[in-house]
Amino acid sequence: MEDTAEFVSRAAAPRSSRAREIAFSAAILAACTLIALALRSYLAATNLAMVYLLGVVAVAASCSRETAVAASMVSVAAFDFFCVPPYLTFVVADYEYLVTFAGMLVVALVISTQTSRIRANARAALEREARTEALYRLSTNLAGQTRVFEAARAAAALAQEVFHTTVVILLPDDGRISFRKRTADQLPVPGAEELIAQWAFDRGRKAGQGMENFGEALAFYIPLRGARDSFGVMCVLPDAEKRVFLPEQQNLLDIFANQTALAIERTLSQKAAEDTRLRMETEQMRSSLLSAISHDLRTPLASITGAASTLRSQGEKLAPEVRAELLDSISEEAERLSRLVGNLLDMTRFESGTVELRREFCPLEEIVGAALQRLDRQLAGRAVSVSLPDDLPPVFVDDVLFGQVVMNLVENATKYTPSGTPVELAAEFSSGTVIFEVRDRGPGLPLGEEERIFEKFYRGNSAGRSGAGLGLAICRAIAQAHQGSIEAFNRPGGGAVFRVRLPAGKQL
Amino acid sequence: MKPLILMVEDDPQIRRFLRATLDAEGYRFQEATTAAEGLTQAASHQPDLILLDLGLPDRDGLDVIRGVREWSHVPILILSARGQEADKIAALDLGADDYVAKPFTVGELLARIRAALRRSLSPAAAEVVCFGRVEVDPEKRIVKVDGAEVHLTPNEYKLLQVMLRHPGKVLTQRQLLNEVWGPNATEQAQYLRVYIAQLRRKLERDPARPEHLQTEPGVGYRLVTGD
Repeated sequence: MEDTAEFVSRAAAPRSSRAREIAFSAAILAACTLIALALRSYLAATNLAMVYLLGVVAVAASCSRETAVAASMVSVAAFDFFCVPPYLTFVVADYEYLVTFAGMLVVALVISTQTSRIRANARAALEREARTEALYRLSTNLAGQTRVFEAARAAAALAQEVFHTTVVILLPDDGRISFRKRTADQLPVPGAEELIAQWAFDRGRKAGQGMENFGEALAFYIPLRGARDSFGVMCVLPDAEKRVFLPEQQNLLDIFANQTALAIERTLSQKAAEDTRLRMETEQMRSSLLSAISHDLRTPLASITGAASTLRSQGEKLAPEVRAELLDSISEEAERLSRLVGNLLDMTRFESGTVELRREFCPLEEIVGAALQRLDRQLAGRAVSVSLPDDLPPVFVDDVLFGQVVMNLVENATKYTPSGTPVELAAEFSSGTVIFEVRDRGPGLPLGEEERIFEKFYRGNSAGRSGAGLGLAICRAIAQAHQGSIEAFNRPGGGAVFRVRLPAGKQL
Repeated sequence: MKPLILMVEDDPQIRRFLRATLDAEGYRFQEATTAAEGLTQAASHQPDLILLDLGLPDRDGLDVIRGVREWSHVPILILSARGQEADKIAALDLGADDYVAKPFTVGELLARIRAALRRSLSPAAAEVVCFGRVEVDPEKRIVKVDGAEVHLTPNEYKLLQVMLRHPGKVLTQRQLLNEVWGPNATEQAQYLRVYIAQLRRKLERDPARPEHLQTEPGVGYRLVTGD
């Protein structure tokens, strides 16, 4: 209820300004009277009226029209009382003075009315300028926003500044206005007013303080209505009640709300356009994936089918070595197919985000050992050297997935380098990072392609037969899932280096 | 008489090639296509080994392991799809002996079958065991590499002993931790990794390319004593 107390004290403010005006006018008129009394013996009474007229001008210049009119009347009375003989009484000896009074009153009233009109015009001009500027700033502030919440926040901040009052924009969550989804950290109104906000949102009509509905509320609520939908509710807490309740301010607030709604609408439609673009790109990727896969799946299938049907229909007529060759090709192609399907499944799992890392502290030596063991056959006839320092800290990884990185890298080395050339595996620990490298002495990487080789479906052009170009993309996905990175570069003296960086786990 | 193998597998193509292979190797065999059928046949035929596919149409293959283990120690060899480490571990922890990941070659399958049959026919005796350059004398608790005695800590020795009791069989991390450190340590995989690394340093020629203490990534370890 602290809010209410503060609110009441601020509502009292206009009354005190009226009192100030009265005191000011009284002081001016008193000063006029003193001057008139001092000049009374030297000037004709009608001329003393000018002193009072000057006073009325001074009052009209800085006070409201009502005060100026009252001051006009009081000044005529004071002139009669102090300056027209007999003094200190309203009785008039010479009836000519009645003309003076009438003239003085008319002049004073005209002055006060005109002056306050000029002031009102000047103020209106200022208001118009401020309003134009506020709307201009609103449109520029909202123009760059790409997210609904950011747009709402910018609008609320500007409204708060322009109207010198607390403005919070409430956004709907699943069609319900929620005080939880708001632009300000602090909620300036009681939670019960959520209902009023919802009402305004549902009906598209203003509600709350000073309105037809829920007039007793602390704040009032303006729906943010765009061309088709409501996007939220602007909650205005009238700190300085009078300002907000002026019709032109009210009007400006409405325009503000409307502009904000339009900006949000624009943001949403931009987002929809972006989503469509993304979907189209995904479609495109999917179709390029399909064409790559269908080629890669069909080729080994064609060889298998061909070899198997040859064996079945002409088995007896074939020379034993030809039969052996066909059998070899069946099993090799099947293996290739199996690898391809495995890679595709892995990539799909990674991209769908269903891979859960089972990270544990694990010696790199063990992971490398298991990978090399699986590649035993591919590595036959090659010198494989492994140099891992004894004090290498264990790595905090999913051993199965990271093992796959090692396997893919070593397998690539065997696939893309002439048989018999050496493969080196090495690791070192440096400033919190374990750096693991697989190096070969093959033809190296095509210049300028060092980054592209990690893209999906990229294939080294030197390769006669290979997978779908997924191995390195999977390596990168796995490294990144471990907050690590992978890069490749050519090696001085020929060959390629693949370098994986992993943040080291703490020592056991 | 040749060993009897029960295959529990629902895919007809896989059964067809298993049949051909087992027949060519001279094994006798029975076929079941569902978990229920598998359990009945296991009870009625008392096979020497069970080949079990985990993805069966009626029930989870793990149920078959549970059922069989209630009354029999017959070796169970799992045929699993790649990437299902959790299933493999569950199967091994339930008492399966080993697994072969699909797609597998006949060579791999036959090697696993032979190893499992050998283990079940001749349980590890308390006699000197040799593998590669390593010689273990369980009676005297002496381990020699290339004829020279190597000192193992009590836990290292215990770990080696557990693995020696199941030569060629993959042991899950949980099984090893339970046997060496007790049931409260089964989640402490990093202990095991450290001890395995130490054993490799002491017994293997190249600890980064172990010949005997092999890792089954994501599952556990296997002691290969040469086939």
